[in-house]
Amino acid sequence: MNDSPVPVVLWTEATGNAPSLGQQFRASLEHAFIIMTRRRRFALAAALTFLPALVPIMESFFGRSVHALMASELFTRLAEKLFIDLLSPLLGLFFATLLIAEDVELRTISYILTRPISRTAWVLGRFTAFLMAAAPILLVSLTITALACGVKRQGFVLSNVNDFWLFGHYVAVQTIALAAYGAFALFLGAFSRRPIVYGVLLIYGWQRVATFVPGVIDFLTIQKYVDGLKPVLATQRNLVSIQTALGTFQREVFAIGAAKAMVILILMIMVFLGASALSLRLREFGGDKTAGA
Amino acid sequence: MTVDVVRQPVIEARDLSKWFGEVVALNNVTLSIAPGVTGVLGPNGAGKSTFIKLALGLYAPSRGEIRVLGEPPRNNRRVLARIGWCPEVDHFYDHTTGFEFVYWLCRYWGMSPRSARAAALEACEMVRITDRMDDPIDEYSKGMRQRIKIAQALALSPELIFLDEPMNGLDPRGREEMYALIRSLGDRGVSVIVSSHILYEVERITDNVVLLVGGTLIAQGRVRDIRELIDRYPHTIRVVSDQPAQLAKRFAGDPGVFAVETRGDTVTIRTLTPDDCYETLNILAVKAPGWIRAIECADNNLQAVFDYLTKKTVSGV
Repeated sequence: MNDSPVPVVLWTEATGNAPSLGQQFRASLEHAFIIMTRRRRFALAAALTFLPALVPIMESFFGRSVHALMASELFTRLAEKLFIDLLSPLLGLFFATLLIAEDVELRTISYILTRPISRTAWVLGRFTAFLMAAAPILLVSLTITALACGVKRQGFVLSNVNDFWLFGHYVAVQTIALAAYGAFALFLGAFSRRPIVYGVLLIYGWQRVATFVPGVIDFLTIQKYVDGLKPVLATQRNLVSIQTALGTFQREVFAIGAAKAMVILILMIMVFLGASALSLRLREFGGDKTAGA
Repeated sequence: MTVDVVRQPVIEARDLSKWFGEVVALNNVTLSIAPGVTGVLGPNGAGKSTFIKLALGLYAPSRGEIRVLGEPPRNNRRVLARIGWCPEVDHFYDHTTGFEFVYWLCRYWGMSPRSARAAALEACEMVRITDRMDDPIDEYSKGMRQRIKIAQALALSPELIFLDEPMNGLDPRGREEMYALIRSLGDRGVSVIVSSHILYEVERITDNVVLLVGGTLIAQGRVRDIRELIDRYPHTIRVVSDQPAQLAKRFAGDPGVFAVETRGDTVTIRTLTPDDCYETLNILAVKAPGWIRAIECADNNLQAVFDYLTKKTVSGV
């Protein structure tokens, strides 16, 4: 360390107004995006996300079934079951749980909390970085899958306006699902020490159970509202009879309209992000739990 | 006309306590720290880091209050914009170079990319790490990590800077540079709070100290003031002599002396009246030159004061 005079003010703006929220948001976004995309797990997640594109190709070349699906039918199934129901929450758990949890684990959160940065701007920046990293992966993979569905099949080509509209619809639903699951995962990361474990239990455990159990308990899941946005009617999509060892049960389906579902999902995202920002204000992140540590 | 410049305290704590479950980390601390360089001293577990984290707003007080630069610090962006912090423990982002680390923390402070680059570069120069600043932090030595942590705190040009055990991991030259840097910051009007459990380190950079032991404030003030506190308690004087046996015998009967030990050519005198002892030694030095080759006051170093106070507190005396 040199003995040269230390400038009292390196950053002249420091003497003026407080930093703008926009600059804080941008700093959080850019940093989180760089951190996320530098990880090996990002490449791994991207590679995994592209695997569904192989399904229609393999099926078209090696499938021997006389009941072979039409291209649009195959794409619809893949988009709903794989991309929206499986990959969107998976990417949320993969990345968004770590957006805050990793800073807590590495204890770099204490640097953030000793900066004059708005907690909300920081959380929003991180969340946006997640969307910017994960949404294009899903989009590209879904596009390849859609194109692959047309290989050696009739009935689904993206040059057709209706097909293109259907594709666009699924892209939108997939992105909203990603945002909802991402916000939920971020919230888990802000509040718990094992966000991935809780996330898997809640999303792939509780949510699956709730959607099969008769009654309105499925209204306490994200999937209920994501399903409400899908192009296929709820009555066609939902399982109305449940077969068990004790017999077959009929399940009443309470459908929810797309507009309501959309509003509720947006509210959910806002609540999860707001709660995450609030946790940063309320929790103590000093790192030491013993005297003088 | 004389204008009195009122120096507002940079930190004020009143009945400040912090506990984690049943563990009391800080107990009823009331103090006021004036601008300038101040050392927060205490052994491990004294509550130094807890005190600093309360001042940074990372912890909320369990009881009492703390004000930094006149305001409560927790979630207070006005206060946070004016302070910097170098933590004791290494916390870094993965896959990040030293420069990037400082740069991003400047960005989080609200700087534009251009300002953040300039500030990060200047801070890296200040801690002399420019030649390695583009290397991953994972490859840094302990001393380099310490420097880069200090750089991120300096880059913000704070009015008040907290350095938690900043000398940890630095080699002797690095420590000397750190002493100079902290003194330089103080000279430039930056208030610096330095925590340390090594009193010699603090003695090198400031005369203002706060002593914490077991979460309790033991003493606060200038080193010499604190030393006055113990004037009524035993002082230790070591004398190197050609005639240790005679010298020991000479002091053994003095009223204020309660112990005399001889080891080789060194006589250790423990006394409650150090001034009388020094006067006697001066006389002897003139009258019997061979008797006294060197005099060393073991309490001159702050460590002795600290050890004394610590032992007294721990034993409950």
